[in-house]
Amino acid sequence: MKVLVVDDFSTMRRIVKNLLRDLGFTNIQEADDGSTALPMLQGGDFDFVVTDWNMPGMQGIDLLKAIRADASLSHIPVLLITAEAKKEQIVMAAQAGVNGYIVKPFTAATLKTKIEKIFERLA
Amino acid sequence: MTIAMTGRISLEQAKSVVEFLELGQQDEANAIIAEIQNPINSELFAEIGKLTRQLHDSLTNFQLDSRLSDLATSDIPDAKERLNFVITRTEEAANKTMDAVEAIFPVVNTMAEQVAAVNPSWTKLMNNELDLTEFKSLCLNIDTLLKNTGKETQHIHSLMTDVLMAQDFQDLTGQVIRKVIDLVIEVEESLITMLTAFGISAEPVQEKVLPKVGKNLVEGPIINKENRDDVVADQDDVDDLLSSLGF
Repeated sequence: MKVLVVDDFSTMRRIVKNLLRDLGFTNIQEADDGSTALPMLQGGDFDFVVTDWNMPGMQGIDLLKAIRADASLSHIPVLLITAEAKKEQIVMAAQAGVNGYIVKPFTAATLKTKIEKIFERLA
Repeated sequence: MTIAMTGRISLEQAKSVVEFLELGQQDEANAIIAEIQNPINSELFAEIGKLTRQLHDSLTNFQLDSRLSDLATSDIPDAKERLNFVITRTEEAANKTMDAVEAIFPVVNTMAEQVAAVNPSWTKLMNNELDLTEFKSLCLNIDTLLKNTGKETQHIHSLMTDVLMAQDFQDLTGQVIRKVIDLVIEVEESLITMLTAFGISAEPVQEKVLPKVGKNLVEGPIINKENRDDVVADQDDVDDLLSSLGF
């Protein structure tokens, strides 16, 4: 399974990559914001996107909307991992079709549970 | 100096003029004449004088606040550098820690594999079910396991010391951030002094002012969750909210 991790902080990408590797995801690529991520998604056969919300350039929520609006990408599950904690934003993400929402700071166990839930629902 | 408001000479003033002239004090005598001729001007001059002094004092006081310009031209740029230092140091620390942890993962995995390789034969041995060939092979496996574990625990120990040492950023960044906090307090006080000087109330605004948000309501980490009712407190809150939306 091919995963794209999107975050503007390289340290956070590294943490998420390590946790994903522990969960058995070995094919992981990285992007530092939505505008870098979108062409990568359009060019490659990604199966899962884990993205931050607040990034310079294209934000995670706009990346999510762009994915849902693109017929060739709209099926890809998207997990938001973000420090954004306003109820309004969580509702906004849900309406935009997010598959999971994790608030930072988060634990490895939370990531595991959310990812399992996402793929359970898709199965 | 007395100020005559009438524009007419009084007996007292005439006497003073004569007195000054007799004493040869021409300037003083002239001053009285000038005063009689221009009573309003002299009052005006006094008033202008007073205003000039006040203006002068205000300007001097304002220059006392040259600290303000120091703040703007030197201290605040310096604070930006300090905060950038914090970003750099914390990033370095995070990477150093992850370097060590990523180096430990495969070591631990190898040890786990070697233990797993030994385990079935070991169980057989404990149950007296192991034949001689299997026993020889078990001995070799145990030999590898022991040698490897001995070597790798030292390696792990040194990597864990790296993790420990990477935490020294906390002390340094803590000191730097404390200095920036002092600066923020000083700027706040200067701004309040200025507001007061201009007669604007420096009382805190009563109604709650929410931080400015960017596009998509982006605000970053919430640092006062307890005082806000528009944010979630933790992951459980997020899950509850999402399930209430049918997730």
